[in-house]
Amino acid sequence: MINDIRVGALIAYCSVKRGNKKTLIFIVFVLSLIFMNLVFLPSMIGGLSGLFTGFMQDYPYGDIVIEPMGDNTYINNADNVLKKVRAVEGVRAGTKRLDVGASINHKQKVVGVTITGMLPTEEYEISRYPYIISEGDFLSDLSRDEIIIGAMIAGTGFGSEIYDNLGEVRPGAFVDVTYSNGVKRTYKVKGIMEGTFEVVDLNALVHYKEIEDVYGLEGKEATSVVVRVDEQGTEAQIQDKIREAGVNEQIFTWADKSESLIRQAMQSMGAIDIMSKIVSLIVGAALVLIIIYINVLNRKKEIGILKAVGITPRSIVLSYAFLSTFYVSLGISAGLVLYLSLMFYFQANPVTFYETMEISPTIDPVLLIQSVVTMLTLSVIAGILPAWSVSRESILKAIWGR
Amino acid sequence: MIIVKDLKRCYGTGDTAVRALKGVSFEINKGEFVAIMGASGSGKTTLLRILALLDDATGGEYTIRGLKVSSLPEAERSYYRLTQVGYIFQDYALISEMSAAENVYLLSMMEGKSKKESYKTALEALEKVGLKGKHDRVPDELSGGEKQRVAIARAIAKKPDILFADEPCANLDTTNSKQVLDVFKELNEKYGQTIVMVTHEPWHTDYVDRVITFKDGSLLSDEKKMKE
Ligand SMILES: Nc1ncnc2c1ncn2[C@@H]1O[C@H](COP(=O)(O)OP(=O)(O)OP(=O)(O)O)[C@@H](O)[C@H]1O
Ligand SMILES: [Mg+2]
Repeated sequence: MINDIRVGALIAYCSVKRGNKKTLIFIVFVLSLIFMNLVFLPSMIGGLSGLFTGFMQDYPYGDIVIEPMGDNTYINNADNVLKKVRAVEGVRAGTKRLDVGASINHKQKVVGVTITGMLPTEEYEISRYPYIISEGDFLSDLSRDEIIIGAMIAGTGFGSEIYDNLGEVRPGAFVDVTYSNGVKRTYKVKGIMEGTFEVVDLNALVHYKEIEDVYGLEGKEATSVVVRVDEQGTEAQIQDKIREAGVNEQIFTWADKSESLIRQAMQSMGAIDIMSKIVSLIVGAALVLIIIYINVLNRKKEIGILKAVGITPRSIVLSYAFLSTFYVSLGISAGLVLYLSLMFYFQANPVTFYETMEISPTIDPVLLIQSVVTMLTLSVIAGILPAWSVSRESILKAIWGR
Repeated sequence: MIIVKDLKRCYGTGDTAVRALKGVSFEINKGEFVAIMGASGSGKTTLLRILALLDDATGGEYTIRGLKVSSLPEAERSYYRLTQVGYIFQDYALISEMSAAENVYLLSMMEGKSKKESYKTALEALEKVGLKGKHDRVPDELSGGEKQRVAIARAIAKKPDILFADEPCANLDTTNSKQVLDVFKELNEKYGQTIVMVTHEPWHTDYVDRVITFKDGSLLSDEKKMKE
């Protein structure tokens, strides 16, 4: 076997060293494109899901979100939960929120929204809501009859054409809100928020006390407690610590949350991605198969001669295995260079999506390793097959064709 | 050394079957330089391929040094081809992407010799066929006669029991043919190499000890020549 490997390597080495360089370059070029194709789209999708995940952290869920247990609508003692949470080491900030359903009415136009009741001053530490006010101002602690509405429902932001909206509501305008329990309130629009994200721009914000009041709550309930940690990456540990601190509600990290969310959102993307991967793998394998097959056919006589002078069929097959490994490794390396340059380009110049959402691709090492391994395996198999079939032919047939 | 008994080879079956060898018997002794002659289609190549284990006989028996090689399994035949018999093709059959030395030492490496040792063996063999200093050239940079001598070097590097050559000079002019035949002659005389060579040219028989003539797949004549 050792001899087979040595001889196989020598044959492959000579055929690379003295073979046609143009063909080599061409093969490597095409293989590099195939590799690119394999990893590029997933990186873009990765960038997209990273973006969504970022939104999830920045708005509804924070780093860790605590939600009511089981069928409960509310966390019963949110202040108590908050107290425990804030005492946990590594927690930067926490706040409680109340999400309710409502409809907003303005000059005969009605849209359904989720209204989040929040404590405005605490939100500066928790979310990006205070920072995305495109017109007017964010809520203050005294904002009891004021409301912030999303740009998409206000009818001023991007996406207004897609969704029902109130038709250009500006700060200072008055809107009527009917809560899910039938209570009606009139609010003055204090600001318009534009997060270029539907979950945000289709919502409205009021003071926590308002919701408490409307629903007759007693100052302790919340539909969620949102937590931010000091250091990204420690979410899972802190999730455990919060549980240990005696919080008997459901505790999710943003990763838990986005997993299910992204999974839904990305399902169709994922299908496209998998299909494109399979196609490029098949194309890649077929290409290597064809290249090696033509090579083998051209050298059928040589293979016969090698056998005739006593070279084992195994060394011959091995030489083609080495050869295709070499082609593919070069192809992958070239592909990697190409890929990384494209990645850096797109990270510097993100693709805009939805006019305002900037997607910069993410480089996922696991994906890269996976792609390298699959491409190598498939190509080597594709490279070996033709050589194997020819090396099994009789010597006479290989050399003299009959 | 070689004993061939009633060797038969039939190509194809039924009506279209060609009986290329109709049962030939002869012996070749160690150290002989034998020419095989005969009209085109008389079965010379067919015989040689069988003797060199590149093809199977359809009947008869064939022994080399008492070993019945005609019934060996393929793996052993492959090893035998590698270590015991040398075969020289009419069209040299060199690997075009390998230098003269590489063409030769590939086989030594297959036999398991170290790279250094293989290289040394290859250079020795190339020197024997008069190609000293040309070991780094690829086949395209060599003349026909030189290519054929590389092929001979490849065949003799492993010090085979017998060397087979099927019309080794068919593609060569007289000068190159002479060079090749001289190499054969020297190998035969100096190292006692047994050689069986198929040829069409009557003047080639000046170099050999014995001439076997074929006709229609059978032995026509077998004459020993007196050494000068
Ligand atoms: N693979 C084959 N299939 C069928 N018939 C074959 C095959 N090889 C050779 N023959 C036939 O067998 C006979 C002997 O052929 P062979 O090649 O041994 O002749 P040869 O003496 O070497 O001729 P030449 O001097 O032209 O080389 C010929 O009639 C030839 O047509
Ligand atoms: Mg012939």
